[in-house]
Amino acid sequence: MNIVFAIAGVVIKELYRRKDFYVLFVMTAVITLAMGSVRFFNDPKIALYLKDLCLLLIWISALVIAIATTARQIPAEREARTIFPLLAKPVTRWQVILGKFLGCWAACGIALVVFYLFFGLVSASREQAWHATIFLQGMWLQWSMLAIVIALCLLGSVVFAAPSSNATICFVIVGGILVLGRHLHKLAMQQPEPLGSIVTTIYFLIPHLEWFDVKDFIVYNNDSLRFADCALASLYAGFYTTFLLVATWIVFRRKPLNT
Amino acid sequence: MNTIIETRNLTVEYKAQSRGQPKKRALKGLNLKVHQGEVFGFLGPNGAGKTTTMNVLLGFVNPTAGDAFLFEVNVREPIARQRIGYLPELTYYYKFLTAEELLRFYAKVFRIPRAEADRRIDALLKLVELEHARKRPIKTYSKGMQQRVGLAQALINNPDLLILDEPTSGLDPLGRMKVREIIQRLKNEGRTVLFSSHELGEVETVCDRVAIINEGELKVEGSVSALVEQHNTNLEQVFLKIVGYQPQEAA
Amino acid sequence: MDRLPQKTFEHVRKPGPYALLALLGAMAFTIGTVLQIRVAQWAGRSEPGGLLQTVLGNGRRLFANHFFVQADVYFHSGYYPSVFDAVPRNRDRSHLRQKEHDHDDQSEEPRGDAPAQDESSQHEKEMAFLREPQDWIDRFGRRFMVTSHQHLEGGKEREMLPWLKIAAELDPEQPETYLVAAYWLRDLKRTDEAEKFLREGLRHLPNSHELYFDLGTLFYEDRKNMDMAANLWELALKKWQAAESAEKKPDPLHLNQIATHLAKLEETRGNTGRAIELLVIAKKVSPHPEAVQTWIEELRKGGPRTIH
Repeated sequence: MNIVFAIAGVVIKELYRRKDFYVLFVMTAVITLAMGSVRFFNDPKIALYLKDLCLLLIWISALVIAIATTARQIPAEREARTIFPLLAKPVTRWQVILGKFLGCWAACGIALVVFYLFFGLVSASREQAWHATIFLQGMWLQWSMLAIVIALCLLGSVVFAAPSSNATICFVIVGGILVLGRHLHKLAMQQPEPLGSIVTTIYFLIPHLEWFDVKDFIVYNNDSLRFADCALASLYAGFYTTFLLVATWIVFRRKPLNT
Repeated sequence: MNTIIETRNLTVEYKAQSRGQPKKRALKGLNLKVHQGEVFGFLGPNGAGKTTTMNVLLGFVNPTAGDAFLFEVNVREPIARQRIGYLPELTYYYKFLTAEELLRFYAKVFRIPRAEADRRIDALLKLVELEHARKRPIKTYSKGMQQRVGLAQALINNPDLLILDEPTSGLDPLGRMKVREIIQRLKNEGRTVLFSSHELGEVETVCDRVAIINEGELKVEGSVSALVEQHNTNLEQVFLKIVGYQPQEAA
Repeated sequence: MDRLPQKTFEHVRKPGPYALLALLGAMAFTIGTVLQIRVAQWAGRSEPGGLLQTVLGNGRRLFANHFFVQADVYFHSGYYPSVFDAVPRNRDRSHLRQKEHDHDDQSEEPRGDAPAQDESSQHEKEMAFLREPQDWIDRFGRRFMVTSHQHLEGGKEREMLPWLKIAAELDPEQPETYLVAAYWLRDLKRTDEAEKFLREGLRHLPNSHELYFDLGTLFYEDRKNMDMAANLWELALKKWQAAESAEKKPDPLHLNQIATHLAKLEETRGNTGRAIELLVIAKKVSPHPEAVQTWIEELRKGGPRTIH
């Protein structure tokens, strides 16, 4: 695992030495603070819209960081030829994949902590209260979801040569799942055969990322989720992530790398 | 004498770029041996199969048929690469890392303990004359400096076998001399060096044995002195003769 | 003439490219400030539009409904049908202008469009749009979404206001936006803001009888200014009648509301004749004409009105 952690460490260094994270954080902060400074009907206590907006920006930023960082890992290493001195060491391709995954996931986790700290400050400043449990559950579930997204993106990066096409396809797939995921079976019923069967199959096969979106619970200060549900969702994320990583390894191990 | 590198009937075929075209055979049953303590030159014209051979030895490409061994371990096992150092022809490293961070990363890959890694990093940076730039990101380095970082990372694990792909490419005469000195020093320490180069004068000076391949096949293998004596000419002329170069008639 | 020694100007450096850059920047800025006023005049506007108008242009109206729906979502604490759930498209949004406890108040003509008791249960049925889960994915997925119908209350209704404000900015010609916002502003005791918002609505919709009626209600109930309320309700009546003449088919229930409220006010002020005129108008469109007739009879007799 030393090798895996060493590769992960390089990925984390790359994230905080590139400017993406800072740009996204500053953008989130500026938009949130700008919206927070607006007084609607002279009422200073209005808070939900600000929480809603801040959480939405956090979700978008986290997805951008996850997909943009992951999409370029292996293609950029091949293009920059840094993969050759790495694989010339006693490093297996599985270790490279796992190291890249852990690095991207940890980097996203660090970014999420910073974002949610900011969100917590904004929320507490308006509501003078902090619903810690649902807050932490929301952050944990979002991080679990990002594990699936990163694994999916890694798979794309060994299938598609260009980081840009991989990133675009991942954004479309992830966006589609988040918006349509829970409704696909309803859509399937409205379609003629065989399209209905195809959509139903997709419904059962896709990772249901929308389960991890509990923004509404945080915004409306609902009671926290049951821990059993959180645990099950985390397990689901774990299995799906592992499945995607193994698929990535199967594709990657067969790829010839020519210097 | 121990065999450090061995290929047995090594064959590599690439899929055709487009339909209807035959597969490309980059290597055709290559049989090669490199012994311990040798400085072995691997020569051939462009497209002969030198890079493909190295790619197989380094595990980048799987052979279509045959096998290759490093330290009598099949190259498909990652552990075969535990005792080797590799300097690629085109040296690109993580541009956002400093030289020190890069060497520390590779030291971790080799599971070198921290204290030992620190000692080796200091020694290597001194050897390749990059001490003054150790804290600067690699993206600020010149080509020569990047080549020297490459050499340092190839030596971080005190390799018993060094595989160098065009090690003096792009270096000024001083840089080339430095590389030759390092190769000589490694030879004196009993390590094995395999390198490919188009600088035949350099090969003639440094190498004990050479192999010349062309069109995926081994054409000749032997000591430099024996080949030169046999053909009664310098290595460059031997090379041209082996690959079948025909000088054009003067108009 | 003596020439100046060469050395005198050696220490004076040439302006160089930075000075040129600064000069060009200053010129561009100066021209821009002059041009801005002229461009506004060319377009026939005396002042530039707001941020949303500038960014979105006329396309902003497409988004207005989305933000109104967002206010509805907030009212229901996140529980709301998606386009994929089987819900009638033209939902009645009158629930946005009522609190749950208003359902029992039947002492006078209902305020606004607040439905009667059976209509509130209709609202409950409408909000039960999530059918039984069809499979384990659906079942498990419902643990991670808001699935209960809950109205904002206890002052938290203010959370809808930003979306209503934005919806009004995007499409200032939807009276419903101003009516809903004004209702909740009044409920939150922000009468000044409610009045200001309704007047802003009237600037964009000068012929809206709904807005005049609501403004009159504000003066009647909150400011206790009967004269102003009467004037505004009379104006509302005139606007309704004008809309009918122009064949715009205004809602007859609105006429009923206006006429009955005005009638009650006139009755309070002792203008029985005017009250009767208004009740005659109301009777034609009232869902309870017999109750209105009873009221008229009592006014004609000159006795106190029996509340039904």
